[in-house]
Amino acid sequence: MTFSTREIQKRSISPIFWLLFGAGGMLSALFGPALILITGILAPTGTGLPENFLSYDAALAFARNPLGKLVLLALIALFFWHGAERVFLTLKDMKAGSSLVLKLGTYGVAALVSVATILLLLAIGF
Amino acid sequence: MNERRPYRRPMPGNWWAKPPYRAYTARELSGVAVAAYGGVLFAGLLSLSRGPESWAGFVDFLKSPASLLLHVLLLAAVIFHVITWFQTLPKTMPKMIVNGEAVPPKKITRIATIFAGAMSLALVFFVLGAAQ
Amino acid sequence: MSEPVNAESAVLQKTFELRILRYTPGRDEEPAFGSFQVTGAEGMTVLEALQTIKDTLDGTLSYRWSCRMAVCGSCGMMINGTPRLACSTLLRDLPPGPVTVEPLQNFPIERDLVISVDAFVKKIESVYPYLIPKEQKTVAEGPHLQTPAQMAAYESFSDCINCMLCYAACPQFGENPDFIGPGAMAMLQRYNGDSRDGGRQKRLDTIHGEDGVWSCTAVGICSEVCPKQVDPANAVNQNKTNSAFDFFLRFLRTEQPQ
Repeated sequence: MTFSTREIQKRSISPIFWLLFGAGGMLSALFGPALILITGILAPTGTGLPENFLSYDAALAFARNPLGKLVLLALIALFFWHGAERVFLTLKDMKAGSSLVLKLGTYGVAALVSVATILLLLAIGF
Repeated sequence: MNERRPYRRPMPGNWWAKPPYRAYTARELSGVAVAAYGGVLFAGLLSLSRGPESWAGFVDFLKSPASLLLHVLLLAAVIFHVITWFQTLPKTMPKMIVNGEAVPPKKITRIATIFAGAMSLALVFFVLGAAQ
Repeated sequence: MSEPVNAESAVLQKTFELRILRYTPGRDEEPAFGSFQVTGAEGMTVLEALQTIKDTLDGTLSYRWSCRMAVCGSCGMMINGTPRLACSTLLRDLPPGPVTVEPLQNFPIERDLVISVDAFVKKIESVYPYLIPKEQKTVAEGPHLQTPAQMAAYESFSDCINCMLCYAACPQFGENPDFIGPGAMAMLQRYNGDSRDGGRQKRLDTIHGEDGVWSCTAVGICSEVCPKQVDPANAVNQNKTNSAFDFFLRFLRTEQPQ
């Protein structure tokens, strides 16, 4: 008897989306709770943080700092790619639409937001 | 009676809503909360780029009860994401061999979850400390 | 003095109801449940109940079995909706009431509880399920040595008995019958994780497509139903990581895959 071998299948491009999903998942698993607590609960209620924490000047300074830009891009883009992959796979499980429609509605949105974030960060200046 | 006619049973369309798969679907949907928080950050960046008045509007939104409720819900969902993320982590790693034996997945999950909690706590204390 | 205890009557007898999904090709349009009352030892297994039915109630009942001790992997079936080995499932451990027995989910039914295994065997064959030595050694040069730590890296994957319970638990295999699936990936990792093996790239090339690892969404129930704690979900998902790195690192590779 000879061993039948599978025809070598075309390489999937899923690794790109999967790595973006993984990076966003890890980033949000390590820092997500802290970030939501700080920007969404502590800062708006003034708990443990000074009044000027949410001031326009402070936010602008952060977004103009190259490191701050990198942090914002990583958080926004990777969080969207993470959600996009999970929502795409779940909607696929639910058979909620054709693959193309689902991809546009998930990966497409993540790509759009990523590009928009880069443009906004550039427009804000250094 | 001896013919071959394999019968393929259809998959139930709602398998994802039924146990034991329901927990997996809930885990995947926690990604919505992660993306939603990304959306809050994006909205903040957008209003920041539009000038002080627009930014003030964003801060007013953050201070509204609706936003506070939203963030409490997001926090709960993201903590659920943290827990399930590290439950899945050992599956995506090569086997960890320590002293000639494979480390049990539950141990990896426990250590990684504690590490993540420490990272989040460290970030909160760092920001609170730096802001003083 | 009490009466001498008869060995026969010392075994507690009990009657169980089994609802079994029946299908005879050529006669039945589609499978339908048949109900049986089986009386036997209180501690009997589902497999023993099936054997009692075949011996005393309906000789046409078809199912696969061999070892009766959870090593051959033949008697996998859905018991109360969960994939399990019939030989290691005691009826008394199941909730009271009728016990539902169906052929393994996600596989074509040949007859009664017998499913088609051809596609699964092809998948096993496709991953080069044998050692491809890293270096050729003559007998005079001695054996390929391995430390306990090197063995621990793949040992659990070598425990797979090909019972296919993991496939019955996998909704993505249900959606895409061409998905390589957990069992064959455990087989692949059994060799890719072996320090003596040199076929890693060859095997990775068989699973980099949509029907390879990328059909998996890490549901994880495959590992929960595994009767041998093989953890096939780990085999699939660590190879997603491997395949993802291979996706980018292939541009840096100098040697071409054979």
